[in-house]
Amino acid sequence: MLLTVTATTLREVVRRPTALLLVFALPLVFYLVRLDVPWQAIRFLAIGVGWAIATLSLFSHVSSRHLDQRLAVVGASPSALFLGRQLALLGIGAVVAACYLGVVLLTQDEIPRMGGIVLLLVTTVLISAPLGALVSLIIGRELEGALALLSVMALQLLVDPEERAAGLLPLWSTRELSAYAIEDHATASLAPGLAHFAATLALCTAIGWAASVIRLTPVRLATPGERH
Amino acid sequence: MAAGEWQGRFTDGLVDRGVHPAEADELARDAVLEAEGAGLDPASLYGPAVAYAVAMARTVRDARVNAAPLARERGEVVLRLHEVTKRYRRRQALPPTSLTLRAGEVAAVVGANGSGKSTLLNLCAGLVRASSGTVERTPRIGYAPQQDGVAPLLTATEHFRLFGAAYGMAPRRAVATGRHLASQLGWTPRRDGIAGHLSGGTQQKLNVVLSELDRPDLILLDEPYQGFDHGSYVDFWDQVFTWRDAGAGVLVVTHLLHELDRVDHVLELAAVTGA
Repeated sequence: MLLTVTATTLREVVRRPTALLLVFALPLVFYLVRLDVPWQAIRFLAIGVGWAIATLSLFSHVSSRHLDQRLAVVGASPSALFLGRQLALLGIGAVVAACYLGVVLLTQDEIPRMGGIVLLLVTTVLISAPLGALVSLIIGRELEGALALLSVMALQLLVDPEERAAGLLPLWSTRELSAYAIEDHATASLAPGLAHFAATLALCTAIGWAASVIRLTPVRLATPGERH
Repeated sequence: MAAGEWQGRFTDGLVDRGVHPAEADELARDAVLEAEGAGLDPASLYGPAVAYAVAMARTVRDARVNAAPLARERGEVVLRLHEVTKRYRRRQALPPTSLTLRAGEVAAVVGANGSGKSTLLNLCAGLVRASSGTVERTPRIGYAPQQDGVAPLLTATEHFRLFGAAYGMAPRRAVATGRHLASQLGWTPRRDGIAGHLSGGTQQKLNVVLSELDRPDLILLDEPYQGFDHGSYVDFWDQVFTWRDAGAGVLVVTHLLHELDRVDHVLELAAVTGA
């Protein structure tokens, strides 16, 4: 069931070529707009990738809700439905991340830790897919969900990362991990970046999965007894 | 053409072909209501009134011929509702309702808009929890909701594979079964056509086929014939009675009253007026 849902989700996304094109284009816009300041361009790129994948995840989960309910009623596992879609979105995220790793390789020649860029993009994708799912479960409508994600990402871009409250934002780790990738002496950024990433990933995945299972699990109904 | 004019011509056409005037009035009202429900003019949905009256009069005659009850065995209880109600905060969505449906029986749920027909079906499916009363049903069900039953970006074959996986069927068997069931509704799915490009009636055929893919013991259908042409409509009811004769229990929400003399139970829900 899991792989069937993954394959189905991939097909659905591929059949929306304009949406897919915009998913690929959004991070590029973020990247190009700050190309003159490499560390900012790379951090913006990561947030652009995160925003694109989170929005794709939001729309995928919202648009499949009724179908998933129907599938769950006739016996599909709610966990397989949630995780199957997540797997597909992570796959698309991995392709987007790989493309932009290539873009960075081609356009930046003074990055001390290229492995740090890989880590940055991979962690961003891993957070974004369950983040979009989580927003879809809390808000449940495409427009409202997209606006909520827009607010989160705008905050992410505008807020001073040194502020204590900034750590509550889901992609705060991108700042630490981009510093680790770009700055020669920023090895101390790695640990807090990874810790924040791990906590955010665990939180988004666990809440998204639990909420999805609760929402999709049909009411337990007794089988008609023989006494009547 | 205005709906009133279409309704008048349709009624006259039915009466001219031997349908009782009261029944003709009722059929015409139903047809207009269904078109309104679909957001279309009757002429757009059914075509010219006189041509549709010819076809409908033939259906009414066939229904009378088929109305004689089949000598068939009723099986085990597949659905039992006892004084089931549903409230959303202060609004009552479903008044106290009871029904016992056995394998080999068809029950029709009728009632005005807002009387709780779809709520009842959702309760039977397990999508919502009853506020009071008990719902007992067999675990193996098929379910065709009124809306959003199919994924617009998937082909029919992909739907068969996906629902087959949910039922625990091998992909090849699910596709073969789906195509066979579709042919019984007069439809041959194209391999590359996505559901969103199908007509409304064909999407509903896909919706119905998905509900019966694994020969369930109980089939729950929520007005699944919207957008069907006359031939498909007749095929659909034939299919309902085929499922019944094969031993399935069928619960179908409908507001087309001329099929009710062929079913085993008619559950009429009163309009819910408020708190």
